[in-house]
Amino acid sequence: MLPASNSVRRARPLLGTFVEITVADRSAEDTNPAIEAAFAAVAHVHTLMSFHEATSDVSRLNASASIAPVTVHPWTFHVLAHALDLHTCSRGVFDIAVAPVLQALRLLPTVEDDRFVPDEAAATSAAIELLSGCRVRFRHSGLRIDLGGIAKGFGVDRAIAALRAYGVTQALVNAGGDLAAIGPQPETVHVRDPRDPSCLLLGLTITNQALASSGKRRDPVRSTAPLDAAVIDPLTRSPVTTSMAATVCAPTCMVADALTKVVMIAGTAATPALEHYRASALMVLADGSVEMTDDLVGAVCLAA
Amino acid sequence: MTGWIKWAAPAAVVIAGSPSAYAVQYLTIAQARQQAFPGATFSEIQAGRIWRAESGGRVAGFFIFDRVIGKHLYIDYTVALDAGGRVQRVDILEYRESYGGEIRSPSWLAQFVGKTSTSALQVGSDIRNISGATLSSQHVTEGVKRIMAIAPRLK
Repeated sequence: MLPASNSVRRARPLLGTFVEITVADRSAEDTNPAIEAAFAAVAHVHTLMSFHEATSDVSRLNASASIAPVTVHPWTFHVLAHALDLHTCSRGVFDIAVAPVLQALRLLPTVEDDRFVPDEAAATSAAIELLSGCRVRFRHSGLRIDLGGIAKGFGVDRAIAALRAYGVTQALVNAGGDLAAIGPQPETVHVRDPRDPSCLLLGLTITNQALASSGKRRDPVRSTAPLDAAVIDPLTRSPVTTSMAATVCAPTCMVADALTKVVMIAGTAATPALEHYRASALMVLADGSVEMTDDLVGAVCLAA
Repeated sequence: MTGWIKWAAPAAVVIAGSPSAYAVQYLTIAQARQQAFPGATFSEIQAGRIWRAESGGRVAGFFIFDRVIGKHLYIDYTVALDAGGRVQRVDILEYRESYGGEIRSPSWLAQFVGKTSTSALQVGSDIRNISGATLSSQHVTEGVKRIMAIAPRLK
């Protein structure tokens, strides 16, 4: 655990959540420039990959990549390449092409002047073509992508990279539950209980790893009942109902973030994808039972 | 990994504990003000809420403290505006969250601890990091928009 005495902790609203950065590192000359650079990296990811901002790479791709190739930032290209790997490795379960479904559910805004044709909604990530020079082409005019299932994890990874560049050796970056820790000291992360978010399910100890969780959404202002998950099963093109939540531990937060969706949708069938990415997982099924991969068992500790 | 382990989680093993709270103080108002406008002098426009920052005899910007409801409790945050009323930075000062006061039984949780585990069980340790259903920052975003609406009236 981070020693509280010489750690610096800051939080800002970014990526639609609260991004918290903790640096516990005496060797760092001054932690403030490192933390500023880390927040700047997250803000840059937000600017590039937000579905909501008209000038983002994602919006530019959705607007015209089916007409002509669109050049994107190397970070966006990197995330797209990994999204396609995840699509293949998960046998189509992870799919950034579910944006039209999220739009229909009003979980994403509709875009004015969009030439979206409803009967073309079944386009998948397989229609995304990555070209040289960070250019991207869509081979399907109905394809609309959303990086909401992977970009937050990538933002955490960029923040960690920024901290490392400043010589920080012990730190934790937490973007609304998608987090990564660096340094020799283990970090305890408490996982919220999806059956009752006011309780914690258990604690997990991570060292130089990333951890991400996905689950049903809640709006405590409107109702105590959980809402549908914002995780869409590409096969049924509707919100996943087989599980309430998933937590994944992986080498990078981008992979952990994406694999939470694969575990929520595929359950134990996510095993090959988890093994491929050297990840472990925990899931809470619709009936309230908890399952975890056997390699995660040793990391479990008491919930508070 | 070789497979999945299934655990039933019966509610009967949940034991009652005292209500627990999770609160993090990141910055005081004075610290946040200083970081947003290093070396500036501040004059209070509205008590405890709004300050004008001056640097080298010129208005450098404005600093506003506000709070919005998060999940159940207040989130304290500040907004630094430049002299033209544009948002320079938003900092969370304090975040609070309450928990239902239920602690899962150690005997139930002990089953998760494998024979290969080297980590000791921790009881009553501080909650420092939470993963789970994403907490929306929407209320803070709305708060910043309200502050932007009053920005043109700041002098």
